[in-house]
Parts: sequence; structure tokens; C-alpha cells
Amino acid sequence: MSIAVTTQLICFSILSLIIIVGSLGVVLLESIVYSAFLLGGVFMSVAGLYLLLNASFVAAAQVLVYVGAINVLILFAIMLVNKKEDLKPIKYLNSRKLISSTICITLLSLLVRVDLTDTWIIADPKLSIGEESTIRLGEHLFSDYLLPFEVASVLLLMAMIGAIVLARRDVLSEDISTGLPVDQELIEKSDKPLLTQKK
Amino acid sequence: MTNGLDLEFSFNEALKSFGVPSEIAHIIWLPFPMLIVLVAAVVGVLVTVWLERKISAAAQQRIGPEYAGALGVLQPIADGLKLLVKEDIIPEKADSILFTAGPILVLVPVILSWLIVPFGQNLLISNVGVGIFLWIALSSIQPIGLLMSGYASNNKYSLLGGLRAAAQSISYEIPLALSVLAIVMMTNSLSTVDIVEQQSGAGILSWNIWRQPIGFVIFWICALAECERLPFDLPEAEEELVAGYQTEYAGMKFALFYLGSYINLILSALLVSVLYLGGWGFPIPVETISRILNIPIDTSLVQVITATLGIVMTILKAYLLVFIAILLRWTTPRVRIDQLLDLGWKFLLPISLANLLLTAGLKLALPKFFGG
Amino acid sequence: MKDFFQKVNSYVKEAFGASKYLFDGISVTFDHLKRRPVTVQYPYEKLIPSERYRGRIHYEFDKCIACEVCVRVCPINLPVVDWVMNKETKKKELRNYSIDFGACIFCGNCVEYCPTNCLSMTEEYELATFDRHNLNYDNVALGRLPTNVTSDPTVKSLKELTYLPKGVMDPHDVSPSDSRVGKLPEEVLDWMITSKSSEEVPVGK
Repeated sequence: MSIAVTTQLICFSILSLIIIVGSLGVVLLESIVYSAFLLGGVFMSVAGLYLLLNASFVAAAQVLVYVGAINVLILFAIMLVNKKEDLKPIKYLNSRKLISSTICITLLSLLVRVDLTDTWIIADPKLSIGEESTIRLGEHLFSDYLLPFEVASVLLLMAMIGAIVLARRDVLSEDISTGLPVDQELIEKSDKPLLTQKK
Repeated sequence: MTNGLDLEFSFNEALKSFGVPSEIAHIIWLPFPMLIVLVAAVVGVLVTVWLERKISAAAQQRIGPEYAGALGVLQPIADGLKLLVKEDIIPEKADSILFTAGPILVLVPVILSWLIVPFGQNLLISNVGVGIFLWIALSSIQPIGLLMSGYASNNKYSLLGGLRAAAQSISYEIPLALSVLAIVMMTNSLSTVDIVEQQSGAGILSWNIWRQPIGFVIFWICALAECERLPFDLPEAEEELVAGYQTEYAGMKFALFYLGSYINLILSALLVSVLYLGGWGFPIPVETISRILNIPIDTSLVQVITATLGIVMTILKAYLLVFIAILLRWTTPRVRIDQLLDLGWKFLLPISLANLLLTAGLKLALPKFFGG
Repeated sequence: MKDFFQKVNSYVKEAFGASKYLFDGISVTFDHLKRRPVTVQYPYEKLIPSERYRGRIHYEFDKCIACEVCVRVCPINLPVVDWVMNKETKKKELRNYSIDFGACIFCGNCVEYCPTNCLSMTEEYELATFDRHNLNYDNVALGRLPTNVTSDPTVKSLKELTYLPKGVMDPHDVSPSDSRVGKLPEEVLDWMITSKSSEEVPVGK
């Protein structure tokens, strides 16, 4: 076994260990903040796996999108919402557990079966395109995968418009709880800058 | 185009002549560039800190550090030593694991990004194909570290600082990436080496700053925002947030933040010089000089001189930008958070999109000047 | 459409204006890099405060009519005017007057509004004491003549920035005969008289 192969094997086992332990931690840990940070770690390790597969562009994109955007947004949401709620006992907990574990085990067995029965075509490492994969990715995205690409972007656009509609808040003229007029002085208008306004 | 100095090749050849197999030679070689770049980064930070203090003093008619070494050059080292021997305090109610992991997560991606900074044709750690994209991806990890340390400090100022830092770096990452994209479109490559080579045709005239003036400005503004330099230093605004996410930190952990922010500044300056100011290129191309002086460019002495000149040029350009950043620090007042987000989303983002569109159009119209 | 272009135009103009201001600011900062620090060796050298320097307040007890205008115009109602009504003469009788310079911000409002000009600003600025209560000046302390930098033989008095010739920053290398920027009050008076007479000549004819 050459040094390169050994290094790869060590890296692969470490990364897989992190992914498995990390994702278990994401699900099982009590603290939601820890779960979110562990999720970031899991995403990073997945990026590491992509690197091992010679897909450096996909790895970088994984880090940028999943760690840099999605995970940060999850953390943001967690840190901005600190509403404390008392945990209520869930009804039919045992039957729920039973149903979900059955579904999970079925899915796992399906995956294992696919893994065992499929004949995996292992590409010749000499034919690996390496750095050219970026170009190949772009070609695919704008030719045969154009429709899914555009559909995904439309989906994101819809999500964004939805978020804007939800977050948009017109200035209220009176306080909802007390019914008193709101102090409009503190709302800066474009033609009346706050600093120069005098009364 | 010559290949220039290739230290790795020479090193491996030398080891092979001693009968070392090439694989082992490669492994022995690997730590060298990393160590050198790490040392270079830390020395760069020391120099920047000294420059910052001296230039700030000059801008305010003070003298600045003067007792530690000649002209106070040893002052940053004294600062570093002080931080090194200071007590490492973890607040009682803080989350000690996240509190410790935060500064590490802030520093590591910044140092990793030095992987792609070229000081010459072969004078970089790794000419990875994703190049500049790797830097953008790595710099997006930093907000997680900031959020982590802000949350773990269990302090409202820290949390607010961390949230501000994360919001700021997310919103300025987009125009930054778009202005880099315009450069990448002209180069047809993400690799930093290719980006510099594409600018090396006619010396100073072929630098990207002439072809991408808008992109240059956008990139520099965004880089300042990412580094939390003064017009955009809201995350650690003293008057409002004590010191932002660094409030509870002391000793070496604080030093990691300090180091991280300065390494990030130098890195951004280096990348501006690579992307827009021709990287290691001399204002007059070296090939032209050697042709005029009638010296063959392949001789080893000329190669060593060229490589040294390249390193000096890269660092000189970077430090010029650091100087501008320091001047800006004492010129501009801090923006408010709404102004910051306004500038990012309503000004820089549309402008950078327009710049991208313009670049694409010019690339189609004038493929000779804007990369075919 | 026209409206849109107008908007774009003003937007671009604003952006360019902002960058111009930024550039102006940087050039000012850059200009400051050239200036060297000027050190005044304080206890041995002292700057002469400018004419409108707002130092310790001087008070003349005899002029005061105890009207309390100074108290009313003071941001924190600081001056203490201790008077009693004399029933026989039906006049105010001033007993004591004090200002606490530990709390005073030297805004000069009291000086501005005093109807009898019994308050005035001095150029005395060395008010340091070992106890903050010593800063509470009564009418005797307020009535003392201010110390003067130029009359102290142990101190080398230096010209302040307003007294220096144009372009000079360091007071050390200025000779006493060098005139300051702009005109002195008497020169302004001369200029006003001459310009007025030259103006009036055609009108008079």
C-alpha cells in the first residue's frame, strides 16, 4: 500500500467518523445551539469527502452554501429567537417512535440493498478530469440540467418573495396593545432626517 | 512565458540524487512552504501592527511607539508577548467548549486561505484549480466562529457583536464574490496564478484595475467590511458594544482574534494586488527588461532575481493597500448598521451585478482586451 | 422612463459626490501625515490662550445686582447667589456668590447674559486642586485677578495656533515680531475706516 492510499484511507475514516458521530449529535443533543454547530461540522466533513473524491469545486461550493449560508442562517434564527417554551408531553409517543423507526429502518435496508446489489463502476483514476470538472459542471448546468437549474432558481425566488411578504411590516399608527398613537418621531423619513429635526 | 523559479522541483531533484524515493521527497517538501507562509503571515501581522500604530500616530501628530527597539519596531512583539503570558480567563457562566472553539474557527480559515496566495509563478503553497473560489468559501466559515464566540460568552454585547459580524460578512460576501466573478470571467480560470498571468502582458497597462475599475472599488470596500476595518467596524464598536464578540476574551484567545483580523487584512490586500494590481508583476514586464539588457531569462541568477522582485512587488502592492486602509481608518466615521446594510444590498449588489453584465458584454464585444 | 433616468442620474451623482468627499477626507488625513508633533514643555513653557479662551470666570462683587440671570441661563443652575431682602431699603442685599468649577462646563452663558457685566471669562486654566471641594470658588476667590502666562518670569510663553503666521505650526521658531494670520483688531478698524471713507466719497459728492 503506497503512502498516498494510506493517507486517503486515514482521512476517509476520520471524516466518516466525524460525519456519523456529528449527525448523531445533531439529532440527539439536548441543546439546539450545539446541534446547529455540529451540523456545520458535518457539512464541513462532507466537503472533505468531496475533496477526497477529487471534486474540489463541489467541496468549495458545499462549504460556501451549506456552511457559509445555510448553517449561519440556522444559527441566526436560533440566536434571534430565544422564546422559552415549556415542553409538553407528546401524545402517543411510543407509537410515533415505532412508526418513525420502522420507516427509518426500511429506508436503511433499501440503501443497503442498493449498495450490495448494484455493480459499482469504478472509474479509472487516470481518466479523472480533476480541475476540468469545473468547466464540465458549468456545461452540464447550462445544457442538459438547465430545466432543473431554472426550476430551483424559481423556487428560491418564490421563497424570497414569501419571506419579504412575511417580514414586511407597515408602520402602525397606533400601538396594538394600548391603542395609543405611536411615537412617529423615531421613524426616520427620507425628507426629514432625524438629526436636524427640532421641536 | 517562462516557468520561473521552481523550488519544489529543484528540492525533489536534490533529494532524489541522495537516493530518496520521489514520494518521500514530496512528503519532506510539503511542510516547508506551509511553514514559510505561516511565518510570513505572522511577520506580516507584526509589521502591519507597527505600521498601523506609527501611521495612526503620524496622522494625529503623535509620535507613537518609540521605546521598544529602534522606532518602536519591537512594540508588536512586546504586545504579543504580553498577550501570551496573560491569564487565560474563561467566564464562569460561559460555555467553555464553544468559547475556546470560537477563536480557532475564526483564525483557521483565514490562515488556510493563504494556500492560494501566489508570490510568483511557483511560489505558492498549492495552485489548486478552484483557487479564488476556495478563498470565498473559506471566508464564509468565519461568521460561524464569530457567532460561536458571541454566543458562548453569555454576554449581550458579545452576542450582538457576533450577530452583527455574521450579518455583515454574509451581506458583503455577495458583491465581493460577484466582483471576483467578473475577473474570473475575463481570465477563464479560477486559479490565482492564471489570473496574474493574464495580467502580465504589458506591465502596468495590462493590470486588471484598468479593465475593472468598478470591480476594484467594490472588492476593496467589501474586503474592508469583511475585515471589520474602520468604516465598517460595527461588530466591535466600542461606544455601543464594548468590544463586540471579543468582550469576554483575554490572553491568547484574544490574541487569536487580533491575529485573525490582521492576517485577514493582509490577505485581502494581497488578493487585491493579485486580482487587480498584477500580483507579482513589475510595472514594466521583466521579459522586456531582460530583452533590452540582452540577458537570457533562463539563467538561474536572473530567475532568482525575478522571483525576489516578484515577492517584493506583491508585498509592496499589498502594503500600499494596507496603508490606504489605515488612512481610511482615520478619515471615515463608522457607518450605522442600517447604512451598512443599505450600502451592501442597495448600492454594491446592483452595481456589482451591472459590472458583471458589462464585463460579459465587453468580453463578447472586445475579446482581445477582455479575455476571449 | 424620463423619471427613471432622472433617478439614475441623481443616484450616480450622489455616488460620485460621496466618493469625492471620501477622497477629500483622505487627502486631509494624508496631509496631516507630513506634520510633526509639536511638544510644549509644559511647566516651563506655556501657550498663551487665544483672546476668546473661556477659562475661569472672574466676578466683581460690587457690580452684582443679585438678579440671578446667571442662575437661570446656566445649563445646571450652578451659580449660588446668596442674598436677603432688606426690609428697610426694600433692596436686595448680596451676601455671597459662588460657582463650583468642578461642575461648570465653561459655556459662558452667564457671562453672556449678565446685565451689569460683573462676570467675565479669564484665560486662567490651571485649576487643579487636591480636593474637589476646593474648586467651589466663593466671591473672594472669583474676584482674584487671573494668573497670566506672559507676566510669569519663570515661564516661557509660547504663541498659540491662532497667533502664528500662516503655515507655521511650531511656536518655537516664531520670532515675536512675526504677525499672526489675518488682521489685528486695530488694523481691522483702520481698514474699515479707509474702506468706508473711500465708499463714502462718491456718495458724498
